[in-house]
Amino acid sequence: MKKYLYMFIATLALASAAFAVDSQIWGEMRIQNILGYGQEESLKLGPLFTMLQHHYFAWIFLGILIGVPGAFFLHYKIIGPKVFPHSEKKYYAFNLYNRIIHQIAAISFIVIVPTGFVIVFGDFFGGGMFVRFCKNLHGLFTVPFTIVVIPMALMWLKEALFNLDDVKWFMILGGYLSKEKKPILAGKFNAGQKMWYWVAILGGITMILSGAFMFFLDFKMEMLHNLTGMSQIDMLRAAAIIHNVMGFAVVALFITHVYMSMFAIKGAVQSIITGYVEEEEVKILHSTWYKKLKNQGKF
Amino acid sequence: MEYARMKFYCDEHRCIECDGCSVACAEAHELPVGIARRKVITINEGIPGKEFSTSIACMHCTDAPCEQVCPVDCFYIREDGIVLHDKEKCIGCGYCLYACPFGAPQFPREGIFGAKGAMDKCTMCAGGPLETNSEKERHLYGQNRIAEGKVPVCAAMCSTKALLVGDSESVSAIIRTRVSSRAKGASNPLVWDKAYKNQ
Ligand code: HEM
Repeated sequence: MKKYLYMFIATLALASAAFAVDSQIWGEMRIQNILGYGQEESLKLGPLFTMLQHHYFAWIFLGILIGVPGAFFLHYKIIGPKVFPHSEKKYYAFNLYNRIIHQIAAISFIVIVPTGFVIVFGDFFGGGMFVRFCKNLHGLFTVPFTIVVIPMALMWLKEALFNLDDVKWFMILGGYLSKEKKPILAGKFNAGQKMWYWVAILGGITMILSGAFMFFLDFKMEMLHNLTGMSQIDMLRAAAIIHNVMGFAVVALFITHVYMSMFAIKGAVQSIITGYVEEEEVKILHSTWYKKLKNQGKF
Repeated sequence: MEYARMKFYCDEHRCIECDGCSVACAEAHELPVGIARRKVITINEGIPGKEFSTSIACMHCTDAPCEQVCPVDCFYIREDGIVLHDKEKCIGCGYCLYACPFGAPQFPREGIFGAKGAMDKCTMCAGGPLETNSEKERHLYGQNRIAEGKVPVCAAMCSTKALLVGDSESVSAIIRTRVSSRAKGASNPLVWDKAYKNQ
């Protein structure tokens, strides 16, 4: 027993000693990293990241944080929400599995997005304990999202493929610019929802990967180095840039998603809670789907 | 009053890769295992005539990019040009490392998730924002030798005096003298000329 304990301690000690030598950033690789900075043939990611983070990222996030909800506030005041009567007829559109997967992703995003903003505006919050706590939550809630992102991608893939209805949907912006209630061409998901699907799934995976790079920082993936021809530090710089730029899209569409389900279409959020969609709502906002369901005798 | 800017300079003609500077630094500041604020690197290793060693740490850049990218603004640049940071403000995001040309910032792992802890880097032996020479300052940032009027420990310990530190003008002056006297005198028989110039 004692023998194993000693072996365990020895392994730990060796692992920490090896850390310094094998390091992709502070070990032998450091020379390559230094020489790569700002050299003619290099990607100049160091100066690029410095410039973007110093001058632009926080301002763009601020613009999105104010601009997107601002536009929706005006939309709500001028055009107003769509209200559909509660009918007797409902259709069971999301089973328990769909709802659980979605809810796990939803909770993850509700934590990840605000904590992301706290990090971006870390100086406003004074840094220290609170921002550090948010950084840890940001990383922690990436775990449940990572678990559900693939199941979510698979369960809605068929409905999220773009088709001709979507061109027409985009031309009238889904009818959200008018108060009229006339049937809009769309399947189970309309073009806007499909767009959110792709940004949440592909963008989400990009956020997970670039976030994981920044979390683990010092790791060795020979394959990735060979594939990209980049040094570890340049890959980290690229990850930081990608995490921010993709973050713009994820945040903008996340806010849109929340506005649509919570405010723009009254009661729409109920469908992902109970699983049932209202007939009226489907008839108007997803008319192609409605026809199909009607033919199948589902309504 | 215009303050002089403090700079490090490592004379690669003198550095013998003994690692004394980084050992002195680690010991003086009682750095944890895995953290090396200063490191000796050898460039063009094995290429005759081109190989040289130099000692690197935070270079206390005039336009410190770390300070530019920090999301919590934990960096501050002293009037003498020493770049320092507040570890109690730092959230360990890693941005300063991405901005740094020298890979100077390092992150000890902490907590049960092994997240990046507060950044650690060379302070030019000038401590941090806490009360000078307090126990807490020493614990977080290491010795504050500058406040005591001492030379940073790495340069003080350098056996060949390759590693220089001081206000940039004095350092340049020393380097200039060294360069202009190089390849002259008894130390270099290849260009030996007269034994007694005055005769
Ligand atoms: C699906 C969405 C997202 C995922 C999965 C994700 C994941 C992560 C992970 C794992 C990290 C590394 C955390 C660490 O180093 O401890 C990270 C860092 C970061 N994230 Fe995100 N993130 C997402 C969205 C966002 C958004 C929307 C923002 C901005 C509003 C944001 C801002 C940041 C920033 C500034 C960092 C760097 C600082 C740090 O490493 O702590 N992230 N992200």
